[in-house]
Amino acid sequence: MRKKVNVLLYNTGAVAVGLLISACLLLFMDVNPAEVCAQTLSKIVTDKYNLGEVLVKATPLIFTSLAFAFTYKANLFNIGAQGQFLMGSIVAVSLSLALQDTVPTALLLLLVLVGSFAAGAAVGGLIGAAKAKFSANEFLVSMMSTYVVTNFMDYLLRTSLQETKAEYMQTDAISAGAYLPNILPGTRVHLGFLLAVAAAVLVWVLLSKTSLGFQIRAVGRNPFSAELGGIRASRIYIIAFLISGGLAGLAGLTEINGVQHMLLRDFNASIGSYGIGIAILANGNPIGCIFASILFGFLNIMGTTMGRLPGLSIPASIIELIEGIVMICVIISYALRGYMENRSEKQRMRKAGV
Amino acid sequence: MLNLLTRAIMMSTPLLLGALAEVYAERTGMMICAIEGIFLIGAWGGFVGAYLSGSLALGLLAAVAAGIAMALVYAFVTVTLRQQQVVTGTALNILAVGVCAFFQRVLFGVPTTPLQIDTLPKLPVPLLSRIPLLGEIFFQQNILTYLAYILIPISIFVLYKTSLGLTIRSTGENPVAVDVAGINVNRVRFLTVLAAGGFGGLAGSFYTVGYLGMFTTSIIGGRGWIAFAICFLGNWSPKGAVLGTLAFGLADAISVYFRTGTTVFPTELIIALPYILTIVLTIFRSNFQVPAKLGVPYSKEN
Repeated sequence: MRKKVNVLLYNTGAVAVGLLISACLLLFMDVNPAEVCAQTLSKIVTDKYNLGEVLVKATPLIFTSLAFAFTYKANLFNIGAQGQFLMGSIVAVSLSLALQDTVPTALLLLLVLVGSFAAGAAVGGLIGAAKAKFSANEFLVSMMSTYVVTNFMDYLLRTSLQETKAEYMQTDAISAGAYLPNILPGTRVHLGFLLAVAAAVLVWVLLSKTSLGFQIRAVGRNPFSAELGGIRASRIYIIAFLISGGLAGLAGLTEINGVQHMLLRDFNASIGSYGIGIAILANGNPIGCIFASILFGFLNIMGTTMGRLPGLSIPASIIELIEGIVMICVIISYALRGYMENRSEKQRMRKAGV
Repeated sequence: MLNLLTRAIMMSTPLLLGALAEVYAERTGMMICAIEGIFLIGAWGGFVGAYLSGSLALGLLAAVAAGIAMALVYAFVTVTLRQQQVVTGTALNILAVGVCAFFQRVLFGVPTTPLQIDTLPKLPVPLLSRIPLLGEIFFQQNILTYLAYILIPISIFVLYKTSLGLTIRSTGENPVAVDVAGINVNRVRFLTVLAAGGFGGLAGSFYTVGYLGMFTTSIIGGRGWIAFAICFLGNWSPKGAVLGTLAFGLADAISVYFRTGTTVFPTELIIALPYILTIVLTIFRSNFQVPAKLGVPYSKEN
């Protein structure tokens, strides 16, 4: 428990330091950071739509960060969440376009949910199988898989999935009958956000309260002793990657049926890598992923809002600057925490006369 | 077709520079996952240096400095503080986009016309450039491409025939032995990462100073990661990196060749082929020589 409080304390501190550094960088633009921040914040807080956007941006990030966090618990690196998300999106848009006028909304969304999970899980499962059967480097295979899926998507967007006008590399828009229902009138927040939160809770239960979760964590700690304890590590590799890929795939459902309503080139090109940063910020804790994703969603909206402030010409890419600095601060805080905990441990031992 | 091959060699230059840098770093056990960001900051540094000083040489120097600066942060966090390389790289790649875009705005405001610099001139090599066919493909390039040619034998020689190369290779395979021999493992890793950052920055500057003469934050567009992939595809050897670069370069050239007009031919398959090849080799090649301690931080205590 003390350790958990410690993590939270250090993380919050690191985020605060990161934000402070970013604010100071605003001085380069010859503006008053405090004033700009106050102005931006009041624009976000007083506008219901903007507040909603925070949750809209956070939704897919919850899924991709869960995807990374899940395999991370098994000491595996799934850095191909982007590819699994795109595969989920391809299936989501195909199913929606094919069935939207024949199947009732609830059933359609259920089918898309299963389909996009399965699509992501298929990509993830292949990576897990390569790791389990051939002890291939899962980091490398998952990374390369993203490029293969991206090119596959580009091909589909140019051929069988291309819009009827055949002008741009994008699909037709899905009809309103296939939309995820809105849950907050006056915003774009959709059911997908609740799904994401539910997924995070489920993942938490799975990892910390079930025997499968125990096996995954055991393999993550030490695959050899896990094997001695009767856990087949290769089976765990495949299962962990299946679930991780499926989680990333679900972001396809929320982005296609909840936000964009069509698939296009360079679709949400960086949520995979943000997922990694967020999972680390949350220290791999599924519940923490929810809050860290919301923080990133908030930073995202803050950057856009700042970029739109009249007469200041702050570039919108200040988002990347802030988020990058915050991430580095958090990573450094982990090192600091490790060092401090190590030191207090040593002191305790010295006192005990060991 | 001839133009296409000349272009393939030209576009392979930064990939080769980046891949060689990555090979050296990974041989010490350090994946440079920030390579995409290093490419980008190199591209930006080269552009800013050349624009402000009016000298392309100073631009290239600034690119090297920018690459080293980014590598310094990466090395500090991953080597000194022993944090996860993948995660640190992800953070730095995102940060690089922000830094470039933000300071581009700070330095130049919102210009009404896009800022332009001259690009490195083509330098035909006397005599060699007059060889039919080959001359045009290989010897009418800019100075960075020639630098890449020269670096191929040098990098092979240094890695396999010198004591420095032995130290570098051992650091990734068996850091304890290196430590016992009285060599500071983390210093080897730190300095190799810095050097790799310098070459990565130079590689990035190829896109601004050597080719386009302008800067946007999407100028690298994943090519840093391609250099990263080439290192794996080439089995962590300089020779393999050359072959890997040719594979990616050719795939790129062929897909451009087929893209003329609207064709149903899946050019995407050709672009994806080198990636698929990398996956297949990772899975099935039995003599895949991943450095034993790749990605594992070193500490004397354990």
